[in-house]
Amino acid sequence: MENKTEILQGTLDLMVLQALQAMGPLHGYGIARRIEQLSEESLKVNQGTVYLCLVRLLQKKWIKAEWGTSENNRKARFYSISKAGQKQLVQETENWQRLSGTIGRLLQLSGTR
Amino acid sequence: MAGRIRAVFQSNELDRDLRMELEAHIQLLAEEHIRKGASQEEAQRLARIELGGVEQLREAHRDVRALPWLDTLLQDLRFAFRLFRKSPGFTAIAVLTLALGIGASTTIFSWVRSVLLNPLPGVANPERVAALETLAPNGEWLPTSYLDFRDLRDGCKLSEKMSVTKPMDLAVGNEDSFERVWGEAVSGDFFDLLQLKPEIGRFFSREEVDHEQNAHPLVVIGHSYWASHLHSDPQAIGTTLRIGRFPYTIIGVAPATFSGSMAGLSFQMWVPATMYGQLASTGDQTLVDRKWRTFRVLVRLAAGVTLSEARAEVQSHAIDMALADADTNEGMSATLLPLWKSHYGIQDFMLGPLSILMAASGVLLLIVCANVANLLLARATTRQKEFSIRLALGAPRSRLIRQLLTESLLIALAGALAGLFLAVPLSGSFGYLLPHSAIPTLASAPIDGGVLLFMISVAALAALLAGMAPAVHASVGKVDEALKERVRGGTSARSARLLGFFVTSEMALAVVALIAAGLLVRSFRNVSEVRTGFDPDHVDIARLDLSAASYDAQHADSYCLRFREQLERQPGVSAVAYTDYVPLSVSGGSWEDLQIQGYVASPSENMKIYRSLTAPGYFDLMKIPILQGRDFNLHDDASAQPVMIVNEEFVRHFIPTGISLGRRVQGWGKWFTIVGVVQDTKVFRLTEPPAPYFYVPIRQIYRPEMGLVFFVRTTAPTDSALATLRREAQNVDPSVPVFDASSLNDSIAASLFGQRISAELLSLLGSAALLLAAMGLYGVISYSVAQRTNEMGIRMVLGAQATDVSRLVIRQGAKLVGIGILLGTLASLALSRLLASLLFGVSATDPIIFLGVALLLSLVALAACYIPARRAARLDPVVALRYS
Repeated sequence: MENKTEILQGTLDLMVLQALQAMGPLHGYGIARRIEQLSEESLKVNQGTVYLCLVRLLQKKWIKAEWGTSENNRKARFYSISKAGQKQLVQETENWQRLSGTIGRLLQLSGTR
Repeated sequence: MAGRIRAVFQSNELDRDLRMELEAHIQLLAEEHIRKGASQEEAQRLARIELGGVEQLREAHRDVRALPWLDTLLQDLRFAFRLFRKSPGFTAIAVLTLALGIGASTTIFSWVRSVLLNPLPGVANPERVAALETLAPNGEWLPTSYLDFRDLRDGCKLSEKMSVTKPMDLAVGNEDSFERVWGEAVSGDFFDLLQLKPEIGRFFSREEVDHEQNAHPLVVIGHSYWASHLHSDPQAIGTTLRIGRFPYTIIGVAPATFSGSMAGLSFQMWVPATMYGQLASTGDQTLVDRKWRTFRVLVRLAAGVTLSEARAEVQSHAIDMALADADTNEGMSATLLPLWKSHYGIQDFMLGPLSILMAASGVLLLIVCANVANLLLARATTRQKEFSIRLALGAPRSRLIRQLLTESLLIALAGALAGLFLAVPLSGSFGYLLPHSAIPTLASAPIDGGVLLFMISVAALAALLAGMAPAVHASVGKVDEALKERVRGGTSARSARLLGFFVTSEMALAVVALIAAGLLVRSFRNVSEVRTGFDPDHVDIARLDLSAASYDAQHADSYCLRFREQLERQPGVSAVAYTDYVPLSVSGGSWEDLQIQGYVASPSENMKIYRSLTAPGYFDLMKIPILQGRDFNLHDDASAQPVMIVNEEFVRHFIPTGISLGRRVQGWGKWFTIVGVVQDTKVFRLTEPPAPYFYVPIRQIYRPEMGLVFFVRTTAPTDSALATLRREAQNVDPSVPVFDASSLNDSIAASLFGQRISAELLSLLGSAALLLAAMGLYGVISYSVAQRTNEMGIRMVLGAQATDVSRLVIRQGAKLVGIGILLGTLASLALSRLLASLLFGVSATDPIIFLGVALLLSLVALAACYIPARRAARLDPVVALRYS
């Protein structure tokens, strides 16, 4: 039970970091949209959980936040990736690739049998 | 971490931020839906659905950003507060009993700390300071002579510093108005040894004051004396004070935290020990005679040296000295002791009573904890439904335990706070611990950091002790079982067992406390009833300080004669006498090395025999029978043949023939002739066995430094008699200070105070223990009657009589009490050895007291059970059956 959420959480963290790395500062809505776009709507994220993810990343000091104005002239909080976050992203990406590679090979093996 | 803690307290602000952020999100989403063609309202609705529940999100957000445990703690605290508000009776009883237990133990701890644990407040590294004591050949403790001190100081390298200290009551002021100030005569290293820094000015140094006698009239004054007499004026340094008629230059002020080198006592002046001869008018003799053993010695251990290493060095050095100075020191030795074991000071006679009281307050605290545990447990049982529902809804058991422990902690903290209100005024009663006599006691035992820390630890321990069992008990129950039990309206066997266990422990502890109290009270009564051998009723005494008035022996003699005449003329006065020693006073007496004609002492025999110097008429006044021969008379003066009166034990011990009159005894380098034999009296302690004692005429031996006490037997009430004593002394010579005027009975009572306070305070603690145990029993039995109402109803319907039902209840209580009394008695027997040394005339396993306590406890327990039993007997079966 616990492991599963852990992985899911980690996944979402990775996606948020990746979005901020690729797009520069974004507000919560932007991040949610970006993740939906990238996953081509196949991964439907509950948009609210993005905010939980953001507060977690803030606590780990992987991202920074500041108040700004959104494209429709509303006050919004913009998040950007920090140095530590970039390092974490590189590391996490490697981990992820290794893991997904392993799992991919594992699934292929069982698939061909 | 800091951010998270902050997050807990900035909860509102962070919530607002999140709300704003989510609002922005919703607007953006809504706009998108509008672009896709939705209406304004529809767009808002869709946006909110897409985002998910804002409230849930906010909760989750809170959990993520904050410390869950702190949040939970605050929740628990809020919940506990609400519960306490809802049951103020329960809360008040729990808090008050805890306040009693915590307050009592904190007070007693503050005394223990002042007297035993922290004997040198204001001193750096006090644990490295020890006391050096000289040992007589028979192993008796003695003060140290100045010459011995100097040899030991110079010879012992493992003791970094050594200093003498000698309490002195100094007569300070001019001829018209003497004030008595307690001070210490110290050597130059004293302040260095204690590692003190002067508030202003400077302290002595060894080079300066330790060499020449009477050459350094310098004084260091205490901070409070500086404030009260010199307005805290820095200019006071360099000015002079008149002490015993001599001008002394003030060189420094001691720090405010320092009150001298004896635990629990308060000194205000320090003078060089080399001035002792002048201030005590003993001349140079005091400091150059090895037999003049008069000083306490303090030692600071050198860095890295243990007490036993330093002690070994002191011992071997003292043994060398005993050989080198065999004429005075033969067979003598010396040792080092931790301060709390030192024989000079109040810790010596407070050690036993304080240990007992500390233990008793611990017992009381345990009873309190058991009581509160019972209350909590009973309550937890009635809350079983709440717990079951919470467990059923998925609350982890640890969460329930935490909730219950938070509750007991909160109660304990409230108890500690209330206990503090109890302890602060009580520690001010420190003076109650000490005799009202010639010692300068501290006004109060301070409640300092150490005491507060102790109190908080005690409270935490109490919370844990009282809360653990109910917490665990409440959480281990099976959910379904608990729910069912609730429906049946009964109580689980397990909780009944736990309640019983607590009551039994309380009873056992109360037995232990009461037996100890009973033994001490009995012992105190025995001591008080000891025959002193003299009649102290209607006798008033006053101490005079002739040395402060710089009298010599001849002057002193004529003063005494004149004063005596004056007093004899007062109305109501039937007899006047004077002596240098008050029997059964707290101060020690004086002895002399004797050689007795016709008696060959064995080489190791202690021939240092205690004595007092008396004026004619002393035995008549004290109603001490003269068994043979005569009293002293006015012709027995310095020019006449020296004479002596001895007690019965002296004759029994040294004069086997029994023909004592006319026998000659050598002391002070003179031969005395025994002219009388008097009955034995108690000299130092009421509990002492008879010992040889002798009297010599005060006119033949007296020196003004020996102390002088006038005794008056009068029909006048004590107050007016004492006023007369003071007034007449003033008339005869105003420069002679009078102090310690009191009735002889008060003075004797002071010597008993160690036993008195242990007996009194322990009775108090024992009664509190009994009361609390009875309360606990009553609570448990009442609770059980309430729980068993249904069962009782059934029994009655089936034909049980009212008496059967009440017998049922009493039997249940009797079982608990019986086991408790048995266990308590066994524990007391096991502990009796510890108490034995403090008892007089009563065995530590005295069957009467053991039986008495058992009986008392049974009666009280019966009373505690009787009320619930009656309630059970009066149950209406119909009502009882419906009861659930």
